[in-house]
Amino acid sequence: MIERHLSLPALRFGLRGGRFGLMMGVALLLGFVVLGLSPLFVDIAPPAQMDLLARLAGPSDTHPLGTDHLGRDVLSRLIHAVPVSLGAAFATMLAILAIALPWGVIAAVAGGRVDMVMMRLADIIMAFPTLVLALAIIGFMGASLQASIIGIAAAWWPSNARMVRALVLSASQRDFVRAAYLSGASRLRVIVRHILPQVLPPLAVIISLETASVLLALSALSFLGIGAQPPTPEWGAMLNQARPFFSQAPHMLLVPGLAVTAAVLALNLIGEGLRDLLDTREPYEW
Amino acid sequence: MLRFILIRLAVAVPTLLGMSVVAFAIVAIAPGDPVMMELRALGVVPKPEDIAALRAEYGLDQPFLLRYLDWLGRAVQLDLGTSIATGRSVVTEIAMRLPATLSLAVSALIGAVLVSVVFGVCALSRNRGVAACMRGLTILLVSIPSFWLALLFIYLFVLTIGWGRLVSDGTWSDLILPALTLGLGAGASLGRVVYERIRAELSEDHIRLAIAKGLAPRRILISHIAPRIVGPLATAWANTFGALLGGVVIVESIFGWPGLGQLILQAIAQRDFPVIQAYLVFMGLIFFTMSILADIVVFFTDPQLRRTLSDD
Amino acid sequence: MVALLQVQNLSVGLPFSAPLLDAISFDIAESERVGLVGASGCGKSLTAGTLCGLLRTPLRVLAGSIRLDGTSLTDASPATWRAARGRSVFQIFQSPGTALTPVRRVGTQLAEAAQIAGRDTKAAVSQALDAVALQPDVTGLFPYQLSGGMKQRVLIAMALILRPRLLIADEPTTGLDVLTEHDILTALNTAADETGASVLFISHDLRAVRRIATRTLVMHAGRLVEDADIADLAISKAPAARALATAATALQNPC
Repeated sequence: MIERHLSLPALRFGLRGGRFGLMMGVALLLGFVVLGLSPLFVDIAPPAQMDLLARLAGPSDTHPLGTDHLGRDVLSRLIHAVPVSLGAAFATMLAILAIALPWGVIAAVAGGRVDMVMMRLADIIMAFPTLVLALAIIGFMGASLQASIIGIAAAWWPSNARMVRALVLSASQRDFVRAAYLSGASRLRVIVRHILPQVLPPLAVIISLETASVLLALSALSFLGIGAQPPTPEWGAMLNQARPFFSQAPHMLLVPGLAVTAAVLALNLIGEGLRDLLDTREPYEW
Repeated sequence: MLRFILIRLAVAVPTLLGMSVVAFAIVAIAPGDPVMMELRALGVVPKPEDIAALRAEYGLDQPFLLRYLDWLGRAVQLDLGTSIATGRSVVTEIAMRLPATLSLAVSALIGAVLVSVVFGVCALSRNRGVAACMRGLTILLVSIPSFWLALLFIYLFVLTIGWGRLVSDGTWSDLILPALTLGLGAGASLGRVVYERIRAELSEDHIRLAIAKGLAPRRILISHIAPRIVGPLATAWANTFGALLGGVVIVESIFGWPGLGQLILQAIAQRDFPVIQAYLVFMGLIFFTMSILADIVVFFTDPQLRRTLSDD
Repeated sequence: MVALLQVQNLSVGLPFSAPLLDAISFDIAESERVGLVGASGCGKSLTAGTLCGLLRTPLRVLAGSIRLDGTSLTDASPATWRAARGRSVFQIFQSPGTALTPVRRVGTQLAEAAQIAGRDTKAAVSQALDAVALQPDVTGLFPYQLSGGMKQRVLIAMALILRPRLLIADEPTTGLDVLTEHDILTALNTAADETGASVLFISHDLRAVRRIATRTLVMHAGRLVEDADIADLAISKAPAARALATAATALQNPC
């Protein structure tokens, strides 16, 4: 009895450190948004503008993060890559959710045969290693950013659909949901009024953690040269182009890698922070 | 036991069939006709009647189902066609490089499991400072892209300190850096699973009893928590192995490890469909086998499941 | 004579907020059996948990002292608590259904207790099972194969093996039918007789308490409001104690 009353004050104290991580994640993500919008307010060199006299130059006053092998400003390319890299990740996640949400909800609510067939279909896709399936799809479509978005969405949706289904199932087994059904509420009403509010918070955790993994995969594909194609400014692609100049111009490698890491870290921190906030379990101390 | 395996295999048959349909359909519905591909690879400007003749030769004018059955019939005899680029049997091409890829994936998995246990358990330390640091480190390692970590390692170990080399002939010492690169990231994300699982167990009533008995943390972990989480962890290991099968492609190309990575990247660039298809089939089968092994572990560690499905 | 358990001004709660247990003081003598009653949520289980050092993270002892069997457990280190648990104090929890580790055989879990108590495993286990009227072959079973009453008896057997100086039983009969409840209370008395342990019996049901103890502590909203013979609760000055006594009488007389 008493223990149940405790979860709220414990939350307010933020004793598990989840809040700190969450705030850091949000701050990092906001930082990227500001960075991505900065070309609208600040004068920044176009990402494709070449300065062949200043190729592979280190950081200087004119090029704060140096230049690449074609003499393009690394900072400018980094900033112009924000909407491409993050945009692609969010677009992929949207595509994943567009399939996974209805798939999982319908399977969970319909139950029985429909559920079984839908889950078996998802299992078939899940039986392939995700990145391998994405690679195969890209292989058949031809390398491009669009192909990698489609490939990743196609490989990632089934596990998300399974998670959505599990969330909806556990939410609909709560007593007050059963009571709502018993009192004659329509299925749609129960889903919208009683199940959805329970599902949304854990779904937010899944979305931010999955977006992180999608961003990692997308930048890996671009790095391998089968995602975003040059001259599109994209972090993974920038790293790919920097590889031949590895020992000459390490600054070209450092900056885009840090950008990917920071963006993925932001999403992971938000996901883990939210999970901590939602976690009402209190482990025993041994 | 036998009954469980039979049931599990019976369930696996439709999934396997479904997988074969996916692997076949991806080529069948892919934009860009393989015939055109082959003609282009030969440097021929195709005439319509040539195309029609070749399509007939490949059976591409047949309905989908017939073509699928024909493909499946050859696939089960390990005939997945020839590579457009090299003209060699794709099964041979894959079989040549598979051992290197598998040894990298397996050693990365072993490393990941070790790392995950250390990270997961340390993140539950009574010392709040240690726990917070371990959790922070875990999230950081999960967030670093493997290809960037690989480049950092090369910069640090190969270019600066002078260990290891960039051209690899598949000997064991060349395995260390790529396996470490892959294992750290995968281990950190597995560590999150270990942490979550142990934490969930620590909130359970039976752990309270174990504590009340006066058991030391180590004993509780080994004899009351470990047997409960081995099953779910085995499933997580299988999934990690699946992720590593894909992940090796990224790292192999950086370290020059002679596995499937180079082959598949070339195949994607050259649109060498038979190679890509065979790669999908082989990786799918390996991952699928791992998942079945994980299910067997789950079965063995759950006495209730074992009883309901055992053959007595 | 010094009492086995001395609790003085014990307050438990979250830092910087109103305590959930407020300045509780009581003693339990060697081999004494004491009841602890009160309405749901008044802090009975929290008291039991505190006496075993089983507070969950944000909760902690804010003030006061606990002294058990000559050892101070106030702000004790994890090692001190570990040494005290099992041998000095042991607790039988409510909800026996989830108390045992599901994946390990009953026998293994009992043997573990024998090891802690430093006793001969085989003899201790079979003797304990016999005392709580369980067949020796339950050792080969997994917890899910036992009924709720059997599981609770396994826990009492565990107490018999451990031979703690203080045995806390937190609502051990909740969720069990009347016949099983009778068996459990009998087994509990047997255990106390055999081991000479003091018992702190926690319940909201005075009828059950009467089977075990005469001296009864009454809690209300985190405070200890009465310490009296169970027969005198009806004439207590504390309204909470009178309410419990009245409710128990009302349940016994058919209306």
